[in-house]
Amino acid sequence: MAGKIRRPPGKKSKGPDVEPLIRLQGLSKTYDGGPVAVEALKEINLEIYEGGYVAIMGPSGSGKSTLMHILGCLDVPTYGEYFLKGQEISRYDSDQLARVRNREVGFVFQQYNLLPRLTAAQNVELPLLYSSVPIDRRKEIVAEMLAKVGLVDRGHHRPNELSGGESQRIAIARGLANDPAILLADEPTGNLDTKTEEEIMALLDELNEQGRTVIVVTHDDTVAKHARRTLHLLDGRIV
Amino acid sequence: MSFLALLGLSVVTLRHHKSRSFLTTLGIIIGVMTVITILSLLEGLNRKIQEEFSSLGSSTIYIQKMEWQVGPGQHRLDFEELRKRPNFTVEDAEALAKLPSIEAAVPSIGKGVGTIKRLGNEAQNCQLKGTAEGGDLTGNWVVDQGRFITREDRLHRRLVCVIGSYIAENLFGAENPLGQTLDVDGHRYFVVGVLEEKGAMFGQTQDNVIIIPVSTYLKYNPLPRGWRAIWGGLSIEALPKPGVVLEKAMEDVEELLRLRRGLRYDQDNDFGLNTQQMIMTALQGITSTLWIVMVGIAAISLIVGGIGIMNIMLVSVAERTREIGIRKAVGARDRDIMIQFLMEAVVLALLGGLIGIIVGIGIARLVSVLVKFLDAASPWWTIALGFGFSAAVGIFFGIYPAQKASKLNPIDAIRYE
Repeated sequence: MAGKIRRPPGKKSKGPDVEPLIRLQGLSKTYDGGPVAVEALKEINLEIYEGGYVAIMGPSGSGKSTLMHILGCLDVPTYGEYFLKGQEISRYDSDQLARVRNREVGFVFQQYNLLPRLTAAQNVELPLLYSSVPIDRRKEIVAEMLAKVGLVDRGHHRPNELSGGESQRIAIARGLANDPAILLADEPTGNLDTKTEEEIMALLDELNEQGRTVIVVTHDDTVAKHARRTLHLLDGRIV
Repeated sequence: MSFLALLGLSVVTLRHHKSRSFLTTLGIIIGVMTVITILSLLEGLNRKIQEEFSSLGSSTIYIQKMEWQVGPGQHRLDFEELRKRPNFTVEDAEALAKLPSIEAAVPSIGKGVGTIKRLGNEAQNCQLKGTAEGGDLTGNWVVDQGRFITREDRLHRRLVCVIGSYIAENLFGAENPLGQTLDVDGHRYFVVGVLEEKGAMFGQTQDNVIIIPVSTYLKYNPLPRGWRAIWGGLSIEALPKPGVVLEKAMEDVEELLRLRRGLRYDQDNDFGLNTQQMIMTALQGITSTLWIVMVGIAAISLIVGGIGIMNIMLVSVAERTREIGIRKAVGARDRDIMIQFLMEAVVLALLGGLIGIIVGIGIARLVSVLVKFLDAASPWWTIALGFGFSAAVGIFFGIYPAQKASKLNPIDAIRYE
């Protein structure tokens, strides 16, 4: 966590002296696959500061998933620059991107995406395995993360024995395991009922209050209301 | 990820598809099993050959009318010419014995005398052998009690014999055979010596001999004539001095015999020099041919097994596309995914190798129980070879699926249903 920049208290505006956690400059993404090139993102400029709580909204096809994939280093932009913690990562190779995904980004997906053959605890442990954390420390972190999401007693269960809400909590615990700078949630409550949705959002709120930068991609206004800042995407542009 | 963690992961994944994994490894199992079984049997055979020949006295030169026809390949024999070859004489043996490179050279002749009876006891399938002093050296016999045939025995054509352990046991039992008499072929011989047990050679005992002076033998048994003389006549056994190379001794023997027979430089030898080395070389030639055939069979089944592994790994990669996507999303590098799938292929192949080795050794043991004179030997290097081959197959055929898995785009993979 080198270069952790704390915003000076009371200073709410973006000053030139504070480097944002995420900075996108003229970022574009074009898909060339089909007969017609599709411009998913057009000249996006965006700054997100540490400790931010941002909702990205927009109808399907607006480019919000593409933006989320680029922010999470699952994809690279066609043009433009992406700075994360002051590092230009838009030109990183696949190994460097994997490292960023491992250390700096925690993903939470709509379908939870837990590995069905592993227990909940093993799922939480997964990012730690890829960053070569020694086994004793791994066990500690897993216990800590399970406690954080309130599922200490469910660690040995497999995903098919967990409810939707529990699965998503485990996914959040996994996302937090390597203490990443950003927690990226893609429709985190899309598969959940209203009551569970409230629980999950409350957990995200709590994580943000503890200082974690949270970015939620959603088309649901009630979810977006939890965030302090909302971006609307339409046809690949922020409106 | 650490090696152990990866190994554990592979085992967990493979256990999840037990029957599929087993069927996939069948090719490897059969391949490795074939290699291990045949290697063990060949190794056992080779050791047996060496062991049995060493009991004969492996450097003795057998001087006969023709060379032994051993090993593969058809030889055209000119029986007319063979029939006309001169007989060996006792004088030939005496002359050879004087060569500086020769320790002992003795005339030798023999025949089967069937069953011999003595006071209600009988010994079957006995061999009567005529030889001279020094025949214990050339025949690699050790005298257990009494003495061997001496020069005096030979010169006086004495009716004495030295008997093999089988005969001593069967005809004399607990009695001491020395000084007793034995009736063979219508003549009564005094037993002057008993030989130590020599053991069987390819299932045939060598301890059923009755050795008498060659002069005595020739007195009662006329030399065979015509084509029978090719094999049945007098031959000479010569033992090189210790420290003399066998080839050098053979050269000396050849030179002296050519001289004694007055052969011109452009005439071929009219005799044959035979050694056990020749049989051993020929047998080893046969086993090495078998070896090559076996390697071919094993290679084919290992390739087939490898393709099976590649196939199932491709299926596995397709089935687990989503898993690959998730792993990449939480930070797995391409090479982490690659190693994970490669490891799975190698574990699968090694599992097949392990089963193949166990079954192969089992079959080899079973064969050696069923076939009396064959002892299977499975030295460590056959086991290492089995493991090495299966690991190589796993790596070779696992690379393509693993590469395919590692190159999957994480976004597409994670959305895969």
